[in-house]
Amino acid sequence: MSYARLQHGGPLRRLIVLIGLVIFVIWSAAPIVWLVLTSVLQQRALIQQPPDLALHSFTLANFTTVLASAALLGHGMVNSLIVASFSTSVALGVGAPAAYALARLPVPRANGIAFLILATQMLPGIAIAIPLFIVISRLGLIDNVLSLGVVYLSFNLPIVIWILRGFFLGIPFGIEKAAAVDGAGIFKTFWYIILPISWPPLCASAVFAFIEAWNEFFFALILTRQHAQTVPLVIAQFAGQYQTVFGQLMAAAAISVAPVIAVAVLFRNQIIRGFADGMMKG
Amino acid sequence: MIWTFEQRRRRAGLLFVAPGLLLLAAILGFPIVDSLLLSLQRVQLTGDQVSHSWVGLANFERLATDAVFWKAAFNTAYFAVMEVLLVSLISLGIALLLRHPMGNSSLFRIMLIVPWAIAPVANAVLWKWILNANYGILNGILVSLGVIDFNHVWLGSPFSALNFLLIVDVWKSVPFVALLMLAGLQRVPQSLYRAAYMDGAGPFQSFMHVTLPSMRGILAIAIILQTIWSLRVFDLVFVLTRGGPADATVLMNFLAYRVTFNFLDLGYGSAIANVIFALTLLIAALYVWLLWPREPGGRR
Repeated sequence: MSYARLQHGGPLRRLIVLIGLVIFVIWSAAPIVWLVLTSVLQQRALIQQPPDLALHSFTLANFTTVLASAALLGHGMVNSLIVASFSTSVALGVGAPAAYALARLPVPRANGIAFLILATQMLPGIAIAIPLFIVISRLGLIDNVLSLGVVYLSFNLPIVIWILRGFFLGIPFGIEKAAAVDGAGIFKTFWYIILPISWPPLCASAVFAFIEAWNEFFFALILTRQHAQTVPLVIAQFAGQYQTVFGQLMAAAAISVAPVIAVAVLFRNQIIRGFADGMMKG
Repeated sequence: MIWTFEQRRRRAGLLFVAPGLLLLAAILGFPIVDSLLLSLQRVQLTGDQVSHSWVGLANFERLATDAVFWKAAFNTAYFAVMEVLLVSLISLGIALLLRHPMGNSSLFRIMLIVPWAIAPVANAVLWKWILNANYGILNGILVSLGVIDFNHVWLGSPFSALNFLLIVDVWKSVPFVALLMLAGLQRVPQSLYRAAYMDGAGPFQSFMHVTLPSMRGILAIAIILQTIWSLRVFDLVFVLTRGGPADATVLMNFLAYRVTFNFLDLGYGSAIANVIFALTLLIAALYVWLLWPREPGGRR
């Protein structure tokens, strides 16, 4: 058996891989396909068994109805956009220098601090949610998008610091030495040398943080009422109210997840590499 | 005064790290301490007023005799063990498939990233529709294939509801772990496989002696993360079952929420939350101790 043959395997192994891939594709795609199909089918077609998939059953009415009647959905999307953008930009602005310092500058107990930051992620949300709920109620900041955005920093800041620290640990020291020889201070080196070469992990952590914030449900459920409702809450509420209007429900769900799915697919390589780097080099 | 190079670096380091740490301390520090204190109190919300009274360990003693808590603990243990097992095995399988030259297409990677990016709530709503007793597609497919004779109420009986919750969460969790493992697999140096081949190792032997040992770190990370994530499943329970039928799908995290925000028993809710926290730390420490890559010479 040649080495190439070992990698590709014989006909039997190829067949097993092929069958595995087919099962994998069906298993991961089927629910998504059904989501999309449901959103473009008439109610009449959906309540037949099996569902009527003839051409005349397809419609865009679910989308137009949801978009026209559900001001809530648009409101929720805007709130989610504000909360996610706010917490992502603060997390990057504060997290990038912190990650650089923990990776490269002589901070006392840098590894201990980094580990402590990771350890905060083991905290169950519920444990911090109860005290936060009491404090935020007293301050009168319940149902406020910015207070929700600040709470989201509790998980977004650690994620950003970990992804970026993993990347900074891998930059060759020579780059900083060359900058120092040329007379650049630490701030200049960070701003003009380090950040420009770090844009893939910066993108990765930004996308990661944005998606986490966009999708978050638990804190939003506790800390918002009507005004600051984010999109997951709107979808959960729809599911309670219109639970039999399946097409419209799935159309609303599709609209709510479309932005983050587009971003995730575009940045897929950076996200996964960034996350793996951050975790592996800990 | 002239700062030396080293002093300047040290000062910049503190300056860089301080805002992030202060922010985290402000958001997390107080709640962590307060959550411990709350669990030692009886806290009641009456209207807008919060009344506190110290009760010592009474909340924790109450846990010992609370049948619902033990039910939730049992459900959570079953859920977490099964989830970690299934997710790890399926993810490793998918990662191996995608490392094979036939699986090396960005299409497959996109198929993994989509379920990961979907909001857990949207995912739960989607599966509620798939599992719908009257019009759900799962019943439709199984009836037309002749596997079942009549429509089942999948979320209607305790055992089936808990297991469907598990399946849906596995479906949602596998992609990210698989991508993580794929990244790990691709880091295994090709030279190791070539060396194993030179030494006469077949595919199975090179998997056991090259792939698995090199993956130790990433497997540990994946298992730790998955355990932690499975202990905090909430959105799915909230949308799919609300803990029913007959508390069969009440997981500890959901119980803490229900006790706190539906029964407004903040002290007891904090006690349950702290139990989850302690369990998470314990399990994480155990895994780190067991699975972390060892230094040569057997030291951890």
